[in-house]
Amino acid sequence: METLVRVTDLSRRFGSHLALSGVNLCLERGEVLGLLGPNGAGKTTCLRLLGGMLAPDGGRIEIQGIDLARRPLEAKRHLGYLPERPPLYPELRVDEYLTFCARLHRLPRRRIGEAIEEAKHRCGLEDAGRRLIAKLSKGFRQRLGIAQAILHKPALLILDEPTEGLDPFQMRELRGLIRELAHDCGIILSSHLLPEVQAVCDRVAILYQGQIRFDDYLPAEQPVYGWRIRLGPPSSVAQVADLPGVAGALALGDDRYRVMLADDATSADLARVILLAGLELRELIPDRSDLERVFFDLIGVEEAA
Amino acid sequence: MIGVLAGREIRSGLVTPLPWILLGAGQIVLAWIFLQVIETFSGLGADERVASLTQELALNLFGFAAVIAMLAAPLLAMRMLSGEFRDGSFDLIGAAPLRIVEMVLGKFLGLIALITPLCLLPALNLLLLADVAGLDAGQIAAATLGLWLAAILFCAIGLYASSLTAQPGAAVLIAFGILLLFSIIGRAESFAVQTLSLFGWLSWNEHLFWFLLGAVRLSDLAYFILFTGLFLALTHRRLANRRLQ
Repeated sequence: METLVRVTDLSRRFGSHLALSGVNLCLERGEVLGLLGPNGAGKTTCLRLLGGMLAPDGGRIEIQGIDLARRPLEAKRHLGYLPERPPLYPELRVDEYLTFCARLHRLPRRRIGEAIEEAKHRCGLEDAGRRLIAKLSKGFRQRLGIAQAILHKPALLILDEPTEGLDPFQMRELRGLIRELAHDCGIILSSHLLPEVQAVCDRVAILYQGQIRFDDYLPAEQPVYGWRIRLGPPSSVAQVADLPGVAGALALGDDRYRVMLADDATSADLARVILLAGLELRELIPDRSDLERVFFDLIGVEEAA
Repeated sequence: MIGVLAGREIRSGLVTPLPWILLGAGQIVLAWIFLQVIETFSGLGADERVASLTQELALNLFGFAAVIAMLAAPLLAMRMLSGEFRDGSFDLIGAAPLRIVEMVLGKFLGLIALITPLCLLPALNLLLLADVAGLDAGQIAAATLGLWLAAILFCAIGLYASSLTAQPGAAVLIAFGILLLFSIIGRAESFAVQTLSLFGWLSWNEHLFWFLLGAVRLSDLAYFILFTGLFLALTHRRLANRRLQ
Protein backbone atom coordinates (compact mmCIF):
# COMPACT_ATOMS: atom_id res chain seq x y z
CA MET A 1 0.00 0.00 0.00
CA GLU A 2 1.00 3.53 -0.68
CA THR A 3 1.20 6.15 2.07
CA LEU A 4 -0.91 9.13 1.10
CA VAL A 5 -0.62 11.29 4.15
CA ARG A 6 1.98 11.37 6.85
CA VAL A 7 1.46 13.75 9.74
CA THR A 8 4.34 14.07 12.16
CA ASP A 9 4.18 15.72 15.54
CA LEU A 10 1.61 18.28 14.50
CA SER A 11 0.75 21.03 16.94
CA ARG A 12 -1.23 24.20 16.80
CA ARG A 13 -2.23 26.77 19.37
CA PHE A 14 -4.71 29.62 19.27
CA GLY A 15 -3.33 32.23 21.62
CA SER A 16 -2.84 30.46 24.92
CA HIS A 17 -5.20 27.61 24.01
CA LEU A 18 -3.41 24.51 22.78
CA ALA A 19 -5.77 23.12 20.13
CA LEU A 20 -3.57 20.24 18.94
CA SER A 21 -0.37 18.78 20.26
CA GLY A 22 1.87 15.98 19.09
CA VAL A 23 -0.55 14.52 16.55
CA ASN A 24 0.85 11.70 14.42
CA LEU A 25 -1.24 10.14 11.68
CA CYS A 26 -0.74 8.02 8.60
CA LEU A 27 -3.16 7.20 5.84
CA GLU A 28 -2.77 4.60 3.12
CA ARG A 29 -4.48 4.62 -0.26
CA GLY A 30 -7.82 2.85 -0.08
CA GLU A 31 -8.27 3.55 3.60
CA VAL A 32 -11.05 5.45 5.34
CA LEU A 33 -9.95 7.07 8.58
CA GLY A 34 -12.56 8.37 10.98
CA LEU A 35 -11.59 11.22 13.26
CA LEU A 36 -13.74 11.06 16.35
CA GLY A 37 -13.94 13.30 19.33
CA PRO A 38 -16.26 15.41 21.43
CA ASN A 39 -16.95 19.02 20.45
CA GLY A 40 -13.86 21.16 20.78
CA ALA A 41 -11.45 18.21 20.68
CA GLY A 42 -9.55 19.65 17.71
CA LYS A 43 -11.09 17.66 14.84
CA THR A 44 -11.82 20.66 12.64
CA THR A 45 -8.47 22.28 13.47
CA CYS A 46 -6.74 19.06 12.46
CA LEU A 47 -8.63 18.91 9.16
CA ARG A 48 -8.06 22.60 8.45
CA LEU A 49 -4.35 22.06 8.96
CA LEU A 50 -4.46 19.10 6.57
CA GLY A 51 -6.38 21.20 4.04
CA GLY A 52 -3.73 23.92 4.15
CA MET A 53 -6.22 26.43 5.52
CA LEU A 54 -4.15 26.93 8.67
CA ALA A 55 -0.42 26.79 9.18
CA PRO A 56 0.82 24.48 11.96
CA ASP A 57 2.96 25.81 14.81
CA GLY A 58 5.06 22.68 14.72
CA GLY A 59 5.30 19.39 12.89
CA ARG A 60 5.02 18.31 9.27
CA ILE A 61 2.26 17.29 6.89
CA GLU A 62 3.18 15.36 3.78
CA ILE A 63 0.64 14.53 1.11
CA GLN A 64 2.00 11.89 -1.26
CA GLY A 65 5.46 12.74 -0.01
CA ILE A 66 5.05 16.47 -0.75
CA ASP A 67 5.51 18.81 2.20
CA LEU A 68 2.35 20.92 2.50
CA ALA A 69 4.16 23.86 4.10
CA ARG A 70 7.02 24.03 1.58
CA ARG A 71 5.24 23.15 -1.67
CA PRO A 72 1.58 23.95 -0.95
CA LEU A 73 0.53 24.28 -4.60
CA GLU A 74 1.70 20.81 -5.59
CA ALA A 75 0.39 19.21 -2.40
CA LYS A 76 -3.04 20.82 -2.73
CA ARG A 77 -3.50 19.38 -6.21
CA HIS A 78 -3.99 15.99 -4.59
CA LEU A 79 -6.51 17.31 -2.14
CA GLY A 80 -10.30 17.45 -2.08
CA TYR A 81 -11.72 19.29 0.91
CA LEU A 82 -15.21 19.65 2.27
CA PRO A 83 -15.26 22.08 5.22
CA GLU A 84 -17.83 22.06 7.99
CA ARG A 85 -20.02 24.45 6.05
CA PRO A 86 -20.08 23.61 2.34
CA PRO A 87 -18.22 26.45 0.56
CA LEU A 88 -20.93 27.51 -1.89
CA TYR A 89 -21.85 30.68 -3.75
CA PRO A 90 -25.63 31.02 -3.38
CA GLU A 91 -25.97 33.33 -6.39
CA LEU A 92 -24.58 30.77 -8.86
CA ARG A 93 -26.26 27.79 -10.49
CA VAL A 94 -25.04 24.28 -9.69
CA ASP A 95 -23.37 23.79 -13.09
CA GLU A 96 -21.72 27.21 -13.02
CA TYR A 97 -20.38 26.52 -9.56
CA LEU A 98 -18.98 23.13 -10.46
CA THR A 99 -17.37 24.56 -13.61
CA PHE A 100 -15.69 27.20 -11.46
CA CYS A 101 -14.43 24.52 -9.04
CA ALA A 102 -13.11 22.41 -11.93
CA ARG A 103 -11.16 25.40 -13.27
CA LEU A 104 -9.82 26.22 -9.81
CA HIS A 105 -8.38 22.71 -9.66
CA ARG A 106 -6.86 23.18 -13.10
CA LEU A 107 -8.79 20.44 -14.88
CA PRO A 108 -8.13 20.53 -18.63
CA ARG A 109 -10.98 22.28 -20.46
CA ARG A 110 -12.07 19.24 -22.47
CA ARG A 111 -12.42 17.11 -19.34
CA ILE A 112 -14.51 19.58 -17.35
CA GLY A 113 -17.93 18.57 -18.76
CA GLU A 114 -17.26 14.90 -18.24
CA ALA A 115 -15.93 15.41 -14.68
CA ILE A 116 -18.95 17.50 -13.70
CA GLU A 117 -21.38 14.91 -15.06
CA GLU A 118 -19.61 12.16 -13.14
CA ALA A 119 -19.51 14.09 -9.86
CA LYS A 120 -23.18 15.03 -10.18
CA HIS A 121 -24.10 11.44 -10.92
CA ARG A 122 -22.18 10.18 -7.90
CA CYS A 123 -23.81 12.69 -5.57
CA GLY A 124 -27.32 12.37 -6.99
CA LEU A 125 -27.39 15.87 -8.45
CA GLU A 126 -28.20 14.94 -12.08
CA ASP A 127 -31.40 16.97 -12.21
CA ALA A 128 -30.12 19.93 -10.21
CA GLY A 129 -27.68 21.37 -12.79
CA ARG A 130 -29.76 24.44 -13.64
CA ARG A 131 -30.93 25.12 -10.11
CA LEU A 132 -29.80 28.15 -8.15
CA ILE A 133 -27.66 27.18 -5.13
CA ALA A 134 -29.60 29.60 -2.90
CA LYS A 135 -32.74 27.55 -3.56
CA LEU A 136 -31.19 24.17 -2.65
CA SER A 137 -32.16 22.38 0.53
CA LYS A 138 -29.55 21.67 3.20
CA GLY A 139 -29.06 18.06 2.10
CA PHE A 140 -28.54 19.11 -1.50
CA ARG A 141 -26.04 21.77 -0.46
CA GLN A 142 -24.10 19.13 1.43
CA ARG A 143 -24.15 16.89 -1.64
CA LEU A 144 -22.93 19.75 -3.79
CA GLY A 145 -20.13 20.34 -1.29
CA ILE A 146 -19.11 16.70 -1.66
CA ALA A 147 -19.38 16.95 -5.45
CA GLN A 148 -16.91 19.86 -5.54
CA ALA A 149 -14.49 17.90 -3.34
CA ILE A 150 -14.45 14.80 -5.58
CA LEU A 151 -14.66 16.64 -8.89
CA HIS A 152 -10.95 16.46 -9.72
CA LYS A 153 -10.52 12.89 -8.41
CA PRO A 154 -8.14 13.81 -5.59
CA ALA A 155 -5.89 11.21 -3.99
CA LEU A 156 -6.82 12.50 -0.56
CA LEU A 157 -10.34 13.45 0.40
CA ILE A 158 -10.95 15.39 3.62
CA LEU A 159 -14.56 15.54 4.77
CA ASP A 160 -15.47 17.55 7.86
CA GLU A 161 -18.71 16.12 9.26
CA PRO A 162 -20.05 15.03 5.86
CA THR A 163 -23.31 13.56 7.14
CA GLU A 164 -24.39 16.78 8.84
CA GLY A 165 -27.82 17.80 7.57
CA LEU A 166 -28.51 14.60 5.63
CA ASP A 167 -31.58 12.46 6.16
CA PRO A 168 -31.08 8.77 7.06
CA PHE A 169 -31.60 7.70 3.47
CA GLN A 170 -29.00 10.15 2.16
CA MET A 171 -26.66 9.08 4.97
CA ARG A 172 -26.83 5.53 3.74
CA GLU A 173 -26.17 6.66 0.19
CA LEU A 174 -23.22 8.72 1.36
CA ARG A 175 -21.79 5.72 3.19
CA GLY A 176 -21.96 3.77 -0.07
CA LEU A 177 -20.34 6.66 -1.91
CA ILE A 178 -17.49 6.91 0.60
CA ARG A 179 -16.80 3.17 0.32
CA GLU A 180 -16.85 3.45 -3.47
CA LEU A 181 -14.52 6.46 -3.50
CA ALA A 182 -12.14 4.69 -1.14
CA HIS A 183 -11.21 2.26 -3.95
CA ASP A 184 -8.92 4.82 -5.50
CA CYS A 185 -8.23 7.41 -2.84
CA GLY A 186 -7.72 7.84 0.88
CA ILE A 187 -10.41 9.52 2.95
CA ILE A 188 -10.25 11.26 6.30
CA LEU A 189 -13.60 12.16 7.76
CA SER A 190 -14.55 13.67 11.07
CA SER A 191 -17.73 13.02 12.94
CA HIS A 192 -19.15 12.91 16.40
CA LEU A 193 -21.58 10.14 15.42
CA LEU A 194 -20.07 6.86 16.59
CA PRO A 195 -22.29 4.47 14.58
CA GLU A 196 -21.60 6.50 11.45
CA VAL A 197 -17.86 6.11 11.87
CA GLN A 198 -18.20 2.45 12.76
CA ALA A 199 -20.23 1.81 9.61
CA VAL A 200 -17.93 3.43 7.14
CA CYS A 201 -14.37 3.61 8.46
CA ASP A 202 -11.55 1.08 8.37
CA ARG A 203 -9.67 2.91 11.06
CA VAL A 204 -10.54 5.26 13.85
CA ALA A 205 -8.52 7.92 15.58
CA ILE A 206 -10.02 9.47 18.69
CA LEU A 207 -9.00 13.02 19.46
CA TYR A 208 -9.47 14.38 22.91
CA GLN A 209 -8.14 17.67 24.23
CA GLY A 210 -5.96 18.08 21.16
CA GLN A 211 -4.25 14.72 21.37
CA ILE A 212 -4.78 11.41 19.63
CA ARG A 213 -5.79 9.01 22.36
CA PHE A 214 -6.60 6.02 20.20
CA ASP A 215 -5.69 5.02 16.65
CA ASP A 216 -6.50 1.53 15.47
CA TYR A 217 -8.21 -0.56 12.82
CA LEU A 218 -11.80 -1.55 13.39
CA PRO A 219 -12.36 -5.31 13.23
CA ALA A 220 -14.69 -6.34 10.40
CA GLU A 221 -16.61 -8.70 12.68
CA GLN A 222 -17.71 -6.81 15.72
CA PRO A 223 -17.52 -9.10 18.74
CA VAL A 224 -20.28 -9.03 21.31
CA TYR A 225 -18.87 -7.43 24.40
CA GLY A 226 -21.73 -8.18 26.72
CA TRP A 227 -25.45 -7.82 27.05
CA ARG A 228 -27.64 -4.99 28.13
CA ILE A 229 -30.72 -5.95 30.07
CA ARG A 230 -33.60 -4.09 31.60
CA LEU A 231 -35.54 -5.68 34.44
CA GLY A 232 -38.85 -4.90 36.05
CA PRO A 233 -38.48 -3.11 39.41
CA PRO A 234 -37.42 -3.82 42.03
CA SER A 235 -33.99 -5.20 41.11
CA SER A 236 -30.41 -4.71 42.23
CA VAL A 237 -27.02 -5.23 40.70
CA ALA A 238 -26.20 -7.84 43.37
CA GLN A 239 -29.17 -9.94 42.27
CA VAL A 240 -27.97 -9.86 38.66
CA ALA A 241 -24.36 -10.57 39.52
CA ASP A 242 -25.34 -13.61 41.61
CA LEU A 243 -27.16 -15.31 38.72
CA PRO A 244 -25.47 -18.51 37.51
CA GLY A 245 -23.47 -18.04 34.29
CA VAL A 246 -23.01 -14.29 34.87
CA ALA A 247 -19.36 -13.25 35.11
CA GLY A 248 -20.01 -9.65 36.01
CA ALA A 249 -22.70 -7.00 36.04
CA LEU A 250 -22.66 -3.24 35.99
CA ALA A 251 -25.60 -1.03 36.93
CA LEU A 252 -26.48 1.59 34.36
CA GLY A 253 -29.36 3.05 36.37
CA ASP A 254 -33.16 2.69 36.03
CA ASP A 255 -33.04 -1.12 36.39
CA ARG A 256 -30.68 -1.35 33.42
CA TYR A 257 -27.54 -3.43 33.63
CA ARG A 258 -24.61 -4.41 31.46
CA VAL A 259 -23.93 -8.11 31.95
CA MET A 260 -20.81 -10.11 31.08
CA LEU A 261 -21.46 -13.78 30.60
CA ALA A 262 -19.18 -16.66 31.50
CA ASP A 263 -17.45 -18.24 28.46
CA ASP A 264 -19.87 -21.14 28.05
CA ALA A 265 -23.10 -19.22 28.71
CA THR A 266 -25.37 -17.87 25.94
CA SER A 267 -28.08 -15.24 25.86
CA ALA A 268 -30.72 -17.97 26.09
CA ASP A 269 -29.16 -19.14 29.35
CA LEU A 270 -29.20 -15.59 30.65
CA ALA A 271 -32.90 -15.17 29.84
CA ARG A 272 -33.69 -18.48 31.49
CA VAL A 273 -31.81 -17.77 34.75
CA ILE A 274 -33.37 -14.34 35.04
CA LEU A 275 -36.87 -15.80 34.79
CA LEU A 276 -35.99 -18.65 37.16
CA ALA A 277 -34.72 -16.17 39.72
CA GLY A 278 -38.20 -14.59 39.69
CA LEU A 279 -37.04 -11.36 37.98
CA GLU A 280 -38.98 -9.75 35.18
CA LEU A 281 -36.98 -9.49 31.94
CA ARG A 282 -38.06 -6.51 29.83
CA GLU A 283 -35.13 -6.04 27.42
CA LEU A 284 -32.13 -8.07 26.31
CA ILE A 285 -29.81 -6.39 23.79
CA PRO A 286 -26.32 -7.41 22.61
CA ASP A 287 -23.77 -4.72 23.50
CA ARG A 288 -21.71 -4.60 20.31
CA SER A 289 -20.54 -1.03 20.25
CA ASP A 290 -16.95 -1.51 21.25
CA LEU A 291 -16.06 1.87 19.74
CA GLU A 292 -18.51 3.54 22.03
CA ARG A 293 -16.89 1.76 24.93
CA VAL A 294 -13.43 2.82 23.84
CA PHE A 295 -14.67 6.35 23.36
CA PHE A 296 -16.20 6.70 26.78
CA ASP A 297 -13.42 4.82 28.52
CA LEU A 298 -10.91 7.23 27.03
CA ILE A 299 -12.84 10.31 27.79
CA GLY A 300 -13.63 9.04 31.22
CA VAL A 301 -17.34 9.72 31.29
CA GLU A 302 -19.85 6.96 31.52
CA GLU A 303 -22.96 7.56 29.50
CA ALA A 304 -25.92 8.68 31.55
CA ALA A 305 -28.39 6.11 30.10
CA MET B 1 -6.26 31.31 -12.59
CA ILE B 2 -6.57 35.07 -12.04
CA GLY B 3 -9.03 35.17 -14.94
CA VAL B 4 -11.07 32.29 -13.49
CA LEU B 5 -11.40 34.05 -10.13
CA ALA B 6 -12.16 37.42 -11.72
CA GLY B 7 -14.72 35.82 -14.02
CA ARG B 8 -16.50 34.26 -11.06
CA GLU B 9 -16.56 37.58 -9.20
CA ILE B 10 -17.98 39.40 -12.23
CA ARG B 11 -20.61 36.70 -12.79
CA SER B 12 -21.62 36.80 -9.11
CA GLY B 13 -21.65 40.59 -9.17
CA LEU B 14 -23.89 40.82 -12.22
CA VAL B 15 -26.54 38.49 -10.83
CA THR B 16 -26.78 40.39 -7.53
CA PRO B 17 -28.63 43.73 -7.40
CA LEU B 18 -25.88 45.82 -5.76
CA PRO B 19 -23.89 46.91 -8.87
CA TRP B 20 -27.11 47.72 -10.71
CA ILE B 21 -28.42 49.79 -7.82
CA LEU B 22 -25.13 51.69 -7.58
CA LEU B 23 -25.13 52.28 -11.32
CA GLY B 24 -28.76 53.45 -11.32
CA ALA B 25 -28.38 55.72 -8.31
CA GLY B 26 -25.10 57.05 -9.71
CA GLN B 27 -26.74 57.91 -13.01
CA ILE B 28 -29.61 59.76 -11.32
CA VAL B 29 -27.22 61.90 -9.26
CA LEU B 30 -24.95 62.58 -12.23
CA ALA B 31 -27.89 63.49 -14.49
CA TRP B 32 -29.03 66.02 -11.90
CA ILE B 33 -25.61 67.62 -11.66
CA PHE B 34 -25.26 67.55 -15.44
CA LEU B 35 -28.51 69.46 -15.83
CA GLN B 36 -27.56 71.99 -13.18
CA VAL B 37 -24.19 72.73 -14.76
CA ILE B 38 -25.75 73.19 -18.19
CA GLU B 39 -28.51 75.36 -16.74
CA THR B 40 -26.12 77.65 -14.89
CA PHE B 41 -23.69 77.84 -17.79
CA SER B 42 -26.30 78.70 -20.39
CA GLY B 43 -27.82 81.31 -18.09
CA LEU B 44 -24.59 83.28 -17.88
CA GLY B 45 -23.55 85.89 -20.39
CA ALA B 46 -20.36 85.30 -22.40
CA ASP B 47 -18.40 87.77 -20.24
CA GLU B 48 -19.54 86.26 -16.95
CA ARG B 49 -18.23 82.78 -17.69
CA VAL B 50 -15.00 82.08 -15.81
CA ALA B 51 -14.30 78.63 -17.23
CA SER B 52 -15.14 76.72 -20.41
CA LEU B 53 -18.10 74.33 -20.48
CA THR B 54 -15.74 71.35 -20.62
CA GLN B 55 -13.99 72.56 -17.48
CA GLU B 56 -17.22 73.22 -15.63
CA LEU B 57 -18.48 69.75 -16.54
CA ALA B 58 -15.19 67.99 -15.79
CA LEU B 59 -14.83 69.52 -12.35
CA ASN B 60 -18.45 69.03 -11.28
CA LEU B 61 -19.54 65.86 -13.05
CA PHE B 62 -16.33 63.88 -12.69
CA GLY B 63 -15.67 65.24 -9.24
CA PHE B 64 -19.03 63.98 -8.05
CA ALA B 65 -18.58 60.70 -9.88
CA ALA B 66 -15.38 60.20 -7.84
CA VAL B 67 -17.36 60.66 -4.63
CA ILE B 68 -19.93 58.11 -5.85
CA ALA B 69 -17.11 55.68 -6.70
CA MET B 70 -15.73 56.25 -3.22
CA LEU B 71 -19.04 55.13 -1.75
CA ALA B 72 -19.48 52.27 -4.21
CA ALA B 73 -16.06 50.59 -4.01
CA PRO B 74 -16.27 49.47 -0.34
CA LEU B 75 -19.80 48.17 -0.91
CA LEU B 76 -18.71 46.11 -3.90
CA ALA B 77 -15.56 44.92 -2.12
CA MET B 78 -17.21 43.82 1.12
CA ARG B 79 -18.61 40.67 -0.48
CA MET B 80 -15.32 39.60 -2.00
CA LEU B 81 -13.33 38.66 1.08
CA SER B 82 -15.27 39.65 4.17
CA GLY B 83 -18.51 38.05 2.97
CA GLU B 84 -16.63 34.91 1.97
CA PHE B 85 -14.94 34.64 5.36
CA ARG B 86 -18.36 34.91 6.96
CA ASP B 87 -20.09 32.36 4.72
CA GLY B 88 -17.16 29.95 4.75
CA SER B 89 -16.86 29.97 0.96
CA PHE B 90 -13.33 31.32 1.22
CA ASP B 91 -12.29 27.77 2.14
CA LEU B 92 -12.96 26.77 -1.45
CA ILE B 93 -10.18 28.92 -2.82
CA GLY B 94 -8.14 28.40 0.35
CA ALA B 95 -7.90 24.66 -0.32
CA ALA B 96 -7.42 25.05 -4.08
CA PRO B 97 -3.91 25.05 -5.58
CA LEU B 98 -3.70 28.85 -5.79
CA ARG B 99 -1.11 31.40 -4.79
CA ILE B 100 -2.28 34.20 -2.54
CA VAL B 101 -1.17 36.73 -5.13
CA GLU B 102 -3.49 35.05 -7.65
CA MET B 103 -6.37 35.28 -5.18
CA VAL B 104 -5.76 38.99 -4.54
CA LEU B 105 -5.34 39.89 -8.21
CA GLY B 106 -8.33 37.78 -9.29
CA LYS B 107 -10.62 39.48 -6.77
CA PHE B 108 -9.14 42.89 -7.59
CA LEU B 109 -9.66 42.52 -11.34
CA GLY B 110 -13.24 41.40 -10.74
CA LEU B 111 -13.78 44.48 -8.60
CA ILE B 112 -12.30 46.77 -11.26
CA ALA B 113 -14.54 45.24 -13.92
CA LEU B 114 -17.59 45.90 -11.74
CA ILE B 115 -16.71 49.53 -10.99
CA THR B 116 -15.54 50.50 -14.49
CA PRO B 117 -19.09 51.11 -15.86
CA LEU B 118 -19.58 53.64 -13.06
CA CYS B 119 -16.43 55.46 -14.18
CA LEU B 120 -17.69 55.62 -17.76
CA LEU B 121 -21.04 57.16 -16.76
CA PRO B 122 -19.95 60.84 -16.82
CA ALA B 123 -18.37 60.45 -20.25
CA LEU B 124 -21.52 58.72 -21.52
CA ASN B 125 -23.63 61.60 -20.22
CA LEU B 126 -21.42 64.04 -22.09
CA LEU B 127 -22.14 62.19 -25.34
CA LEU B 128 -25.50 63.97 -25.31
CA LEU B 129 -23.65 67.24 -25.97
CA ALA B 130 -21.44 65.79 -28.71
CA ASP B 131 -23.35 67.47 -31.53
CA VAL B 132 -24.39 70.72 -29.89
CA ALA B 133 -21.26 71.87 -28.05
CA GLY B 134 -17.61 71.69 -28.95
CA LEU B 135 -16.24 69.87 -25.92
CA ASP B 136 -12.56 69.14 -25.46
CA ALA B 137 -12.32 65.39 -26.05
CA GLY B 138 -8.76 65.27 -24.71
CA GLN B 139 -9.74 66.80 -21.39
CA ILE B 140 -12.71 64.44 -21.04
CA ALA B 141 -10.46 61.48 -21.76
CA ALA B 142 -7.97 62.66 -19.13
CA ALA B 143 -10.77 63.19 -16.60
CA THR B 144 -12.16 59.71 -17.30
CA LEU B 145 -8.69 58.21 -16.85
CA GLY B 146 -8.25 60.08 -13.57
CA LEU B 147 -11.64 58.98 -12.32
CA TRP B 148 -10.87 55.38 -13.24
CA LEU B 149 -7.48 55.47 -11.48
CA ALA B 150 -9.09 56.97 -8.38
CA ALA B 151 -11.79 54.25 -8.46
CA ILE B 152 -9.06 51.60 -8.70
CA LEU B 153 -7.38 53.06 -5.64
CA PHE B 154 -10.73 52.98 -3.80
CA CYS B 155 -11.15 49.34 -4.84
CA ALA B 156 -7.73 48.44 -3.45
CA ILE B 157 -8.60 50.17 -0.16
CA GLY B 158 -12.01 48.43 -0.14
CA LEU B 159 -10.40 45.05 -0.74
CA TYR B 160 -7.89 45.60 2.05
CA ALA B 161 -10.66 46.57 4.49
CA SER B 162 -12.60 43.52 3.33
CA SER B 163 -9.66 41.27 4.22
CA LEU B 164 -9.55 42.63 7.78
CA THR B 165 -12.79 41.26 9.16
CA ALA B 166 -15.46 38.62 8.65
CA GLN B 167 -18.17 41.25 9.20
CA PRO B 168 -18.98 42.88 5.85
CA GLY B 169 -20.60 45.86 7.59
CA ALA B 170 -17.47 46.51 9.61
CA ALA B 171 -15.36 46.12 6.44
CA VAL B 172 -17.38 48.88 4.75
CA LEU B 173 -16.97 51.19 7.75
CA ILE B 174 -13.22 50.57 7.90
CA ALA B 175 -12.94 51.33 4.17
CA PHE B 176 -14.98 54.53 4.55
CA GLY B 177 -12.73 55.51 7.43
CA ILE B 178 -9.53 55.07 5.42
CA LEU B 179 -11.03 56.78 2.37
CA LEU B 180 -12.28 59.69 4.43
CA LEU B 181 -8.84 60.10 5.94
CA PHE B 182 -7.29 60.18 2.47
CA SER B 183 -9.89 62.75 1.42
CA ILE B 184 -9.44 65.27 4.21
CA ILE B 185 -5.77 64.80 4.97
CA GLY B 186 -4.98 67.58 2.48
CA ARG B 187 -6.70 70.07 4.78
CA ALA B 188 -4.01 69.57 7.39
CA GLU B 189 -1.92 71.81 5.15
CA SER B 190 -3.54 74.90 6.59
CA PHE B 191 -2.46 73.97 10.13
CA ALA B 192 1.23 74.16 9.44
CA VAL B 193 3.08 76.71 7.38
CA GLN B 194 5.09 74.81 4.82
CA THR B 195 5.62 75.01 1.13
CA LEU B 196 6.40 71.33 0.52
CA SER B 197 3.11 69.82 1.55
CA LEU B 198 3.25 66.12 2.37
CA PHE B 199 -0.34 66.04 3.54
CA GLY B 200 -1.53 67.70 0.39
CA TRP B 201 0.36 65.16 -1.65
CA LEU B 202 -1.21 62.28 0.29
CA SER B 203 -4.82 63.17 -0.46
CA TRP B 204 -6.31 61.71 -3.62
CA ASN B 205 -8.44 64.70 -4.55
CA GLU B 206 -5.41 66.90 -5.15
CA HIS B 207 -4.17 64.40 -7.74
CA LEU B 208 -7.55 63.84 -9.35
CA PHE B 209 -7.88 67.63 -9.73
CA TRP B 210 -5.04 67.75 -12.28
CA PHE B 211 -6.61 64.96 -14.32
CA LEU B 212 -9.92 66.86 -14.32
CA LEU B 213 -8.12 69.91 -15.68
CA GLY B 214 -6.85 67.73 -18.51
CA ALA B 215 -3.26 67.34 -17.31
CA VAL B 216 -1.99 63.78 -17.08
CA ARG B 217 1.09 64.18 -14.91
CA LEU B 218 3.50 61.39 -14.15
CA SER B 219 3.55 62.29 -10.46
CA ASP B 220 -0.23 61.85 -10.23
CA LEU B 221 -0.09 58.56 -12.13
CA ALA B 222 2.65 57.42 -9.77
CA TYR B 223 0.56 58.40 -6.74
CA PHE B 224 -2.43 56.28 -7.79
CA ILE B 225 -0.33 53.31 -8.85
CA LEU B 226 1.82 53.47 -5.72
CA PHE B 227 -1.07 53.54 -3.27
CA THR B 228 -3.07 50.92 -5.19
CA GLY B 229 -0.01 48.66 -5.03
CA LEU B 230 0.46 49.42 -1.34
CA PHE B 231 -3.07 48.39 -0.39
CA LEU B 232 -2.92 45.28 -2.56
CA ALA B 233 0.34 44.31 -0.85
CA LEU B 234 -1.31 44.84 2.55
CA THR B 235 -4.22 42.62 1.45
CA HIS B 236 -1.74 39.94 0.38
CA ARG B 237 0.00 40.19 3.73
CA ARG B 238 -3.28 39.96 5.56
CA LEU B 239 -4.37 36.82 3.69
CA ALA B 240 -0.98 35.21 4.26
CA ASN B 241 -1.27 35.96 7.98
CA ARG B 242 -4.76 34.51 8.19
CA ARG B 243 -3.27 31.02 8.02
CA LEU B 244 -1.21 31.79 11.11
CA GLN B 245 -4.03 33.16 13.25
